[in-house]
Amino acid sequence: MHMHKFEKVWLIFGVAALLVFLTVLGVSAFYLGNQPPSCLATIDPEKVDTTAPFNEPGLKKVEGKDWDYELVFVAQAFAYTPGEVEVPLGAKVKVIATTKDVIHGFEVAGTNINMMVEPGYISEHVTVFDKPGEYLILCNEYCGTGHHMMTSKIKVVE
Amino acid sequence: MAQTQLKNKTHTEVEDGSSLKGTLASVFFVGIFIVLTWVGVYFLYLDRF
Ligand SMILES: [Cu+2]
Repeated sequence: MHMHKFEKVWLIFGVAALLVFLTVLGVSAFYLGNQPPSCLATIDPEKVDTTAPFNEPGLKKVEGKDWDYELVFVAQAFAYTPGEVEVPLGAKVKVIATTKDVIHGFEVAGTNINMMVEPGYISEHVTVFDKPGEYLILCNEYCGTGHHMMTSKIKVVE
Repeated sequence: MAQTQLKNKTHTEVEDGSSLKGTLASVFFVGIFIVLTWVGVYFLYLDRF
């Protein structure tokens, strides 16, 4: 089959780019262990208030785990509990969130923490809070009339 | 007497119809744009916590 030289050039370029992107994805998933925020952990949405760790929302120090703190959030129309929380600078934190009613968003503006919280599921994200400042948490899934007022705040302090 | 114009032909360069130069340029214009935006977003991801 005759193929123009240029055609070979851009086919090789395209296949190489695809391989690079897929390799990055594969390393991220299978070597670094990155996974979707909601990864098969479930909860009864009716019993969120009485189920650990959601019976005590907020920041908690933990021992013997890969992370130093667990930051627990409960979302419901149209607020997060806690409404404001302080995290020490440099702490490795597992953010754990769920919702009592409908689907909400959990976006910490300006960071990689951006998950959907779905009724019946637990969403998690592990990260190191290595930049001080005030970070706004927003609901970015339309959840009802008070959606635009649904916020919380994380203060990363020394 | 009227003269036919047949002898005043102008000579224009016509590129070979099978040339893919423009196609190559277009493909790499789009390709490089995709790669650069991807790399930009990737480094933004690495920089944030
Ligand atoms: Cu909401």
